[in-house]
Amino acid sequence: MSQPNGTSRPVVQLRKIHKSFGANHVLKGIDLTVGQGQHVVIFGPSGSGKSTLLRTANLLETPDSGSVWFEGKEYGAGIEGEDLPRGKARLLRQQIGMVFQQFNLFPHITALDNVALALRRVKRIKRDEAEHKAATYLDRVGLLDKLGAFPSQLSGGQQQRVAIARSLVMEPKVMLFDEPTSALDPELVGEVLAVMRDLAESGMTMVVVTHEMGFAREAGDLNIFMDEGVVVETGGRELYDHAREPRTRAFLQAIL
Amino acid sequence: MNPFLVIPVLAQARFRPEFIWENRDVFLGGVRLTVFIAIVAFALATVLGLGVALLRMSKNRLVAPIMAAYINIFRAIPLLVFVVFVYYGIAIQFDVRISAIQAGILVLTLQYSAWLGEIFRGGIQAVSDGQTQAALSVGMSRPQTFFRVVLPQAIRIVIPPTGNMFIGMIKDSSLVFIIGVPELFRVSSVMANRTFRYFEVYLGAVIFYLILTTAAYFGVKYLEKRFALVDVLTTRVRSPLARRRGVRLRMIQEAVASERESKSSGTATAL
Ligand SMILES: Nc1ncnc2c1ncn2[C@@H]1O[C@H](COP(=O)(O)OP(=O)(O)OP(=O)(O)O)[C@@H](O)[C@H]1O
Ligand SMILES: [Mg+2]
Repeated sequence: MSQPNGTSRPVVQLRKIHKSFGANHVLKGIDLTVGQGQHVVIFGPSGSGKSTLLRTANLLETPDSGSVWFEGKEYGAGIEGEDLPRGKARLLRQQIGMVFQQFNLFPHITALDNVALALRRVKRIKRDEAEHKAATYLDRVGLLDKLGAFPSQLSGGQQQRVAIARSLVMEPKVMLFDEPTSALDPELVGEVLAVMRDLAESGMTMVVVTHEMGFAREAGDLNIFMDEGVVVETGGRELYDHAREPRTRAFLQAIL
Repeated sequence: MNPFLVIPVLAQARFRPEFIWENRDVFLGGVRLTVFIAIVAFALATVLGLGVALLRMSKNRLVAPIMAAYINIFRAIPLLVFVVFVYYGIAIQFDVRISAIQAGILVLTLQYSAWLGEIFRGGIQAVSDGQTQAALSVGMSRPQTFFRVVLPQAIRIVIPPTGNMFIGMIKDSSLVFIIGVPELFRVSSVMANRTFRYFEVYLGAVIFYLILTTAAYFGVKYLEKRFALVDVLTTRVRSPLARRRGVRLRMIQEAVASERESKSSGTATAL
């Protein structure tokens, strides 16, 4: 699990990302490079722009300016002065998985169909094969017995595991997690973190917004503290005990 | 000549309930046309209403206000005035050849497309933004996201209010009597004026309208149940389709479980 910081080949690179909602300047020039197999943890106060940043990485949110580089291609608005060809957002999203705080499972279809839907409609895999593959991924998150259940019949922890399977089944090169355990009852947090640990150990490249400090300390190769739309401080595992910036230290103290 | 004097005299006729049964064919003729008008106008209004809802939500600065005006105008005109205006006003002024039935269906369709448009828009907007984000995040296109994720959820949300609108349509279709469409109310009033059996005739009309609206009510209940979500693996299901689905899911389950077994025993022997 311990990928040395910065030595691996870059997979995603965010460059000079700016985003405003009306007069609210939410992201103020973010740069971030994520290496192959690296596990990036982002933390910071509410409203600092963490979710917006993650959504920008797969262009669910279009940056006002700045570029998303992914596996040799440029996406998004771009940087002034540069004139590089831009890729299609949909192509980017097919290769980047995302897990949401509120799970966002499709409530009108079964757990199996939640996982199989994109296989069939995006990858155009035949129904039999898609459902078999979907079931394999549900098994991987320990939910083979819940194939036929609808999201409303599952606990929060189970829903989030289905959501993880739904992303993983597309075989993404990077997985983004936006506070995947914050909406869960405390006793359900563990089962989701266990799946994420397995995934980290399997070598998946991950960017995780979380305030689960146990998980962050253990999995985070690159740890980023964000506040008010800027990266305040970046560090390896030592960051949690030896932060240089007073703002980082104050935040860490407050949440521990 | 005080017209109010006439009615008490007529009302003295003895109540003959069998009169309704004897004239059932006249009533049923009206029922048939009422059902036809209601279903055709409602089907057209549903399609048009979906278009209205989508255009109303458009980000285009011209389209959205035009659709808002469409909705407000067609909702605001009293149906009775609207149907007379179209059939006697517009049709004659501009020499449009249109039958009374067509005019009635047109007016009902326009008004109901405005109401349904607002219901559909509400249903679509009630589906959370997170659903769209999740669908896009697995690489689905915008149209796929709309038709496979948003719309099916919106349909469930709008079934009850849309069902109420259909019941309203059955009742409102009686207003086209004014331009001579021989639907249930029209044939009833013609019969009443001819036979002077006002009580029996209108009682018959009331009964037939009640039967129609009650049938529609149970139809809506049935749809709600059909669209309800049932786990075919843990619930005893009766429909053959659901049963077959259950068998299928169990087969997939077993296949994946046995693959997992054989894989883990494979690594065990390798160790
Ligand atoms: N779609 C949107 N429209 C308008 N404003 C938005 C939108 N999304 C986010 N914002 C604003 O952007 C700012 C950053 O929000 P964001 O959700 O990225 O913060 P966050 O760091 O994820 O916070 P939290 O820890 O509460 O999830 C907030 O002020 C928020 O109100
Ligand atoms: Mg957030």
